[in-house]
Amino acid sequence: MSAQARTQAGPQDQAIALTPDREIVIKRTLDAPRELVFAAWTDPKHLPHWYGPDGFTITIHEMDVTPGGVWRLTMHGPDGRDYYNNLVFCEIVPPERLVYRHVPDEKAEPVGHQTIVTFEARGNKTDLTLRLVFDTNEARDYAVSTYQAVEGGKQTTRRLADYVATLAS
Amino acid sequence: MTDRLSTTLAALADPTRRAILARLALGQTSVTDLAAPFDMSLPAVSKHLKVLERAGLIARGRDAQWRPCRLHAEPLKEVADWIEHYRRFWEQSLDRLESYLHELQAKPKKPGRRK
Repeated sequence: MSAQARTQAGPQDQAIALTPDREIVIKRTLDAPRELVFAAWTDPKHLPHWYGPDGFTITIHEMDVTPGGVWRLTMHGPDGRDYYNNLVFCEIVPPERLVYRHVPDEKAEPVGHQTIVTFEARGNKTDLTLRLVFDTNEARDYAVSTYQAVEGGKQTTRRLADYVATLAS
Repeated sequence: MTDRLSTTLAALADPTRRAILARLALGQTSVTDLAAPFDMSLPAVSKHLKVLERAGLIARGRDAQWRPCRLHAEPLKEVADWIEHYRRFWEQSLDRLESYLHELQAKPKKPGRRK
């Protein structure tokens, strides 16, 4: 990779680089046509076969794949715990793009986030890009920066101690 | 996974409590010294400290005269790590999606069901 800064980067490029602490990007090439991948993502028949980490099962209570439509589901963890999820669909462009939001809820997550999935056809394969953008939350941002400051402080103290030790020897 | 997280975030939602923690990040101190910069009664400050203590964000000394408050960073780490849970969630889900798609395509196509 070139160390030189890309001065030509357009606003889209910059948007991806913004707020790295609040964003996760995952890319994956799937060995299936994008129509099928899109269906696997939006059809309640398919979702229970793959949605969730290893050992999880899901129950879909409601899934209305239209802009503004509600998607409610419960994830059943391998430890017997249930995790309730409350979502709203924002954008549906079959078979290219899907945007939905996890709505913060007393029963669900304390901070919401948006999921943006793009499906790009490459022959019979699909290049998938998944972006999770977390809502700004004062309490969360504070926790992250304070924790980093405390840890940073500890490391500085440790380095100082090491340095003093080398002086003493 | 979110229960403790919600407690921590609720404790951090208040600016006074965030200021108290910021002070404690510099080192342990007494309640009186903690209260000094705030235009607030000692009982009001104690109330905030109780919320922080219940959330596990501070620990207090046992000495009756001098009960220094200390920052306890573990819950902050949980908040900092929390977003990483989502990465694991999706890495594992996409692995499962990959094998499910293989399974689907391995099945013989039913006649008349093609788009």
